[in-house]
Amino acid sequence: MTRRYLLPILSVWLLSLAPVFAGAEGHDHLPPHAEEIFNLFGLPITNSMLMVWLVAGGIILFAQAATKKLSLIPVGLQNFAEWLVESLYNFLEGILGKHLVKRTFWFFATIFVLILFINWSGLMPGVGTVGWELSGPGVDPHDKFRPFFRGGNADLNMTAAMAFTFAILWFYWAISENGLKGFLAHIFAPKGKFKGIMAAFMLLVFLFVGVLEIVSILFRPVALSFRLYGNIFAGENILENMMFVVGDKTWLAWLPPMPFYFLELLVGLIQALVFMLLTSVFLKLICDHGDHHDEEHDH
Amino acid sequence: MTPILDLLATTPAPEAEGGVVGEIFRTFKIHWPYFISQCVSFLLVAILLKKFAFGPIQQMLEQRKNRIAEGEEKLKRIEKQLADSEATTAAAIAKANEDAARLIQEARDSAAALSEAKAQEAISQAQAILAKAEAAAKAERDQIAAELKKEFGRLVTATTAQITGKVLTSDDQKRINDEALAKVEA
Repeated sequence: MTRRYLLPILSVWLLSLAPVFAGAEGHDHLPPHAEEIFNLFGLPITNSMLMVWLVAGGIILFAQAATKKLSLIPVGLQNFAEWLVESLYNFLEGILGKHLVKRTFWFFATIFVLILFINWSGLMPGVGTVGWELSGPGVDPHDKFRPFFRGGNADLNMTAAMAFTFAILWFYWAISENGLKGFLAHIFAPKGKFKGIMAAFMLLVFLFVGVLEIVSILFRPVALSFRLYGNIFAGENILENMMFVVGDKTWLAWLPPMPFYFLELLVGLIQALVFMLLTSVFLKLICDHGDHHDEEHDH
Repeated sequence: MTPILDLLATTPAPEAEGGVVGEIFRTFKIHWPYFISQCVSFLLVAILLKKFAFGPIQQMLEQRKNRIAEGEEKLKRIEKQLADSEATTAAAIAKANEDAARLIQEARDSAAALSEAKAQEAISQAQAILAKAEAAAKAERDQIAAELKKEFGRLVTATTAQITGKVLTSDDQKRINDEALAKVEA
């Protein structure tokens, strides 16, 4: 076995051992929501917020370190950062086209990077397992444990924040690309050329389709929020419950969740990709007409 | 599995305040302060990443792309220049070869012509020298003949005068000489 594989294997072992210690502390169950851990000038701070800030800080520090001394011949962190940015840009360019990707890359890249690292950071030892026990009267006996950190995307507020931010930006980009008239025409106007009574009939059909489209558009952020939240929360639940499969043999509690850590690493990546892909495809669909013109102009 | 069952067991009925949406909000603790805080966090990260990560990196990638494009353009230009230069060199070499061949031919022709002229000149000079030598020889021979004639005449005249004992006139001398010469020449 080479030294190259030693570190990842040790990390996986450490990851799998973390819930054992948590179990010893008497962690009751994973609530479906983030929990308030302190107040900052009257603003309630939850454990998922803290996690998001930590990950965001880490990403920003990494970005700073990678772009501190940019050189034409990339080395070290710059190399990795450039690889990530270039790959994402080319990938998104394939979906959105040259014009749209220039305008919106910052958003989709942030979405992907932030979701990915928030998902993966939720698998770190101590997340959801290190905290304190509440005591005193009025404490829910099923919810006594307060972890300091909780997976950022296992909080519907976070996934909804990203989804609704996208929804607002989606309207802004769609209207600025198509114009208000073009935007409404894109939703309600009949596709194709019809004459006479057929035109009137198709107008009615497409008006109805437009209404359905509006409902679908309004539900997109809800679906996006719940999809990401559901996947991540379910993953965390699986990891936690797998630990209890061994019953009294707590010394073996590290074993059952282990395969699921690999699964969750994959789920974390896939969910980041799915969120980014869906949001970019939603934008592409509404700006499709405009972009064809751009591509024609480009050619 | 107990925690999930506990969770489901503690889930209140949807008839609670706010209906299904209110229930969802309560179950997942969707509160405006949390939601706005997460929105602000997300936007802050997006703006910071745009300013400090994606912007500079994209700029660097663009710069590198332009450099590569410029390099490619230069390479193409250099290749074209090289091809042009090779063609020019080949043309120059061909022209030089052609000129050299022409010069050699001209030199050969010129040398042949010169050689011919010189030969002709030498021949004519030799002929002239020959003619001159012949003329000189003839003149000398004539002179010798004349001298011989004169001496022969004098001898004949002297002999005749001695034999005859008579002083010969110049007409006699001339006549005797002519006769003697005619006989010798015959």
